[in-house]
Parts: sequence; structure tokens; C-alpha cells
Amino acid sequence: MSATSSANGQELLKMVGIHKYFGRVHALRGVNFSVNRGEVVGLCGDNGAGKSTLIKVASGYHMADAGQIFFEGREVKLRSPKDARALGIETVYQEQALCPHLSIARNIFMGREPTTVLGLLDQSRMNEESMEALASMGLKLRSPHALVSALSGGQRQGVAIARAIHFRAKLVILDEPTIALSVKEVREVLDFVRHLKDQGVAAVFITHTLHHVFSVADRIVVLAHGCNLVDIRTKDTTVDELSDIIARGTLGDAAPTHKPESEAAAAALAQQATCEEDTEAEQEI
Amino acid sequence: MQRRTIQNLSLGGFSTPLVFIITILIFWAFSPGHRFLDPRNVAAIAKLTPDLGVVALGIGVLMICGEFDLSIASVLPTCSFIFTQLLMAGVSPFVAFVLLLPIGAVFGLINGLLVVRTGLPSFIITLSTMLFWRGIVYVASGLMPISILPYIPTGSPFAQMLTGQIGPVPVQLLWFLGIALVLGVVLHFGRLGNWIYATGSNQDAARAMGVDVRLVKIVCYMIVGSLCAFAAMMQATRLGSFAATQGIGFELKAIAAVVVGGTSLRGGVGSMVGIALGVFIIQILENGLILLRVPVFGVNTFIGLAVILFVIINNLTNRQLAGQGF
Repeated sequence: MSATSSANGQELLKMVGIHKYFGRVHALRGVNFSVNRGEVVGLCGDNGAGKSTLIKVASGYHMADAGQIFFEGREVKLRSPKDARALGIETVYQEQALCPHLSIARNIFMGREPTTVLGLLDQSRMNEESMEALASMGLKLRSPHALVSALSGGQRQGVAIARAIHFRAKLVILDEPTIALSVKEVREVLDFVRHLKDQGVAAVFITHTLHHVFSVADRIVVLAHGCNLVDIRTKDTTVDELSDIIARGTLGDAAPTHKPESEAAAAALAQQATCEEDTEAEQEI
Repeated sequence: MQRRTIQNLSLGGFSTPLVFIITILIFWAFSPGHRFLDPRNVAAIAKLTPDLGVVALGIGVLMICGEFDLSIASVLPTCSFIFTQLLMAGVSPFVAFVLLLPIGAVFGLINGLLVVRTGLPSFIITLSTMLFWRGIVYVASGLMPISILPYIPTGSPFAQMLTGQIGPVPVQLLWFLGIALVLGVVLHFGRLGNWIYATGSNQDAARAMGVDVRLVKIVCYMIVGSLCAFAAMMQATRLGSFAATQGIGFELKAIAAVVVGGTSLRGGVGSMVGIALGVFIIQILENGLILLRVPVFGVNTFIGLAVILFVIINNLTNRQLAGQGF
């Protein structure tokens, strides 16, 4: 399959035939995954389906053992989170994202602090730009000096996302952003994702909870046992249909009846077959 | 602006300045003939405090980034010994001074590399290096004091630089305040300071946000090492001699001072003003208790009690501040 030929201006991230082994565990078995500019993609699947591994490959934490990654149409090698960040891929990890004892402004600028001619932190710029970044997310916080430990879980996600877009991220990966949040906080986080989209930033939203992802995602990708299972537009399916598929881990009779429109979706379905063969082959061994 | 000032202070334990003032008032009130605030006693405190104080400032920075260093108790006499050997070899004290600071940093570098490479708790690593260097300096010196008066006579320019007086103010105090000021600016207003707090607050988050936490830790250890070398030379010059017992007990007293100053043992919380005040509080306690006729060997009992009390007060006031929300 020629991946470059399908890399039109719309395609932001494209991962083709990604394999990843951890010792003898074959965590990713030739997964295909793509995100278009400004698109919100929900990434779902049961525990151990390979969601986190795939995302860690996209954010540079793990290197794929096989497969190609394209960003804005050009093939890239992601050897470290720094490489990914330099391209404009920011990952927001739940809980691990911020330093609780530091102020909002210091967190937003962590590692990329602006300085004055004296080499000291340009605090007034940090404070102003932090408040702007938060406002662009629809997040109203009283002061850039507030400590992150004083914020709610939803607000912390907002600060982490504001940090990502302030540094001109083109793709923000949200790792389980709604886990362990209250209903009100979940609504806040979903609003942040809509704000991201309004600003033309693409997002990958990883979650166990289909209801959350359905309200914001344009497309949903489901993984199972390290393979692509479903790649479908949100409007072409229902929560019930997808949760049924995820629970069973195979397409079976419940396969969505629509024809895959995108090339990627077609490829994904084709990939499914090879994946299953692979599984059986290993079982024989 | 008002709110911001309060928050900056609260980072380092809001109650430390209060405790500092109360401690002074108590000793002033109860010392016989109010001798505690006698100019000669104040001068003595100002001269003695910086020996421990300079090292404790570095320990404070290191603890904010979430690590410990017990090895200072042995690095300090080792640096003092190297200093003496350089003087005996005919090196000018000023040249030896300039050489010793990077040598101290190398001791810190060794600690730092061991901590980040092994991933073991720094408490264990630096306990080991403390024992290691202690043995080396005992064997090398044969436990005998070495006079440095022939090389640095009292009143010589070098002695003036480290232990002289400007008007009524001992130079040691100025060095201490100057170093505190520089470290305070780095810590509170510099990029490195931002990374130090982040490393202590949430190491994983700091790394994910692009901070090289290993480098930050190593730099903090090197700062501590350099300050050990500085304190070693200042103390040796004041004593006119190398002593193998220099620095004994500093490792725990420095931690006590830093904690009394409102620094968290878990990292991420603390301020330079608090640390500096903490150093004075510990030293004032020792001095004041002796003036109150507490037997010299019993002073530690009271310091132990006082540290627990201070930390409880600090925690209570900090919790109240946090409870108000911002």
C-alpha cells in the first residue's frame, strides 16, 4: 500500500502497519491509524487492546518495531517525546500532566519559559499569556498565580490542554481525560475538546466511556487485541452498536452495515483479516 | 500584587518569620540579664551561623527538588583537608579558594550521578558517600588537626575576605546573605528554579513537560558540593586549622534548619527566605538554650522537641492557607 499517495492536505497524522513487541507480547499487530486536520478521533477498546501503546508510539515514548509514521504527508521518525513535540504533537496524560505545587502560569510555560534580558523569568508575559490561553479554552480562573493543587480535576485538564495549544500544537492526544472526574467536570473537559476543534486543532481522545467520546468525536477507532477492529464516522453508528462490538472483541454479525468511505477505513477492515490469521498462527505455536 | 506576595511567602511556610521573631523574643525575655541580645552575643551568632548556614542553603535547594544529601558532613572536612594540603604545597590561599569550589562541585557531581543512575533513594546513596569520604579523610589526616595559621595569618587579606569584619558586621554574615540572595533569585525568578520546583513537585510531569530532571538534580548536588567547599574554607580560616571533626552533625542540622524553614521533605515546597530564617532559628535555639544554662550536651534534646513543634505549626498554618483557596 502506498501511503504517501493518500497523503493529501487533509491528512495530519498517518500511522501504517504499526507493530510493537514487549518481550514476547505482540502488543500492536499492524495497526493503521490516521487523524485529519482539525478532526477529533475517539480511540476506544477494552483493556489491553493496545490504545495506550499506539498513543505512546505517536507521542514518541515508544518506538514502533515496524511500520511507518507520516506527519503532514512526510515520513517521520519519533525517537523521543521531544521529536513528537517539535512536530506539534502534544500529549496530555491524566494525573501526570502538571506540577501541583506550582502556579498555573508556571505550569503552562514549564520547560519553555520566556525570559527577560537579565535571564530571569518574564513573569508578566507568562501571566498574561496564561490567562489568554485559558480564556481561549473557555476556562475562567481567578488568577494565573493560583496553585494547580487548588484546581478541580476538570480545571487541571483545561490547564494541561491550554498548555498544549498555547505552544501551537497541531494534534493534542488526550489519554483518558475523563477518567475519575465528576459529571460536571466531564462536561467541562468535553467543552475543552470542542474549543480545541474550533481553533482547528486535531485531537485524539482515548476513553473507556463511549458516551463521552460520542458527543465530541467525528470518528471513532476501536482496537482489539492489538488490531484495528472498527474505524467509523460517529454519525454512522450508535453507542449500543459499538459497545456491543467492543464487548465481544470481534465484528461478527454486528458489523456496521455502511460501506467504509475513506481509504483508511477500507484498509483498516482489510487489516482485520490479517490480524486474525496472525492470532491463530500464534495460538498454534 | 498583595495576593501574589502572600502566596510567594506561603510557598515557604507562612509561619516561619513569625516563629523566628517569637524565638528571639523568648530568649531575650528569659536569658539572664537579657544577655541574648547583647551586641557581643549577636555578633557571635552572626559569625557562627554561616558555617552551617551556607551549606544549609544548598541543602534547601536540593530538598525543594526532592533529594537529600547526608554526605555534606564528610565532604566538608574532606574539602578542608584538600585546602590545607594545597596551602602546605605552597599554593596561594586565593588560588586554593578558586580551585576548591569546582572540587567541591565534583563531590556533588559524584553524588548526583549515583542518584540519577542507580535510581536509589538519595538518603541511602549519600549515607554511603558520607561514610566513604569520612573514612578517607580520617585515614589521610590521621585525625590530627593541621594549623593553617602559617599560611593564613590572622588579619591577612584572605582571612579578612572570609572571616573579617566590615564595621560591626562579620563578613561571614555578608557571605551568607549574599549567597542566599543569589540562590533566592535563581530559585524564585530563574528558569532553573522553575525546573527545581517542578522536579520536586511531580517528577514525571516535569519530565513530560520537557524538563531534564536528571540534569536538574545533578546541578543541585553540585551547588551543595561547592557550598560545602566554601563553608569548609570559611570554617578552617575562622578556626585557624583543619579539623577532622569539621562538619560532624551538619547533615541532620541542615535538614532540621531547612524543614523548620517551611520546606517539604517530599519536595516542591520551600522558599529561600524561609530556609535562611530556618538556619537562624536553629542556631539561635542552640545559643539561647546555652544562655539559659541548659547543659551543653542536653541542648540537642530541646532542639529535637523544637523542630517537631515548628513543623506541626508550619503544617497547620499551611493547611489553613490552602483551605481558603485562592
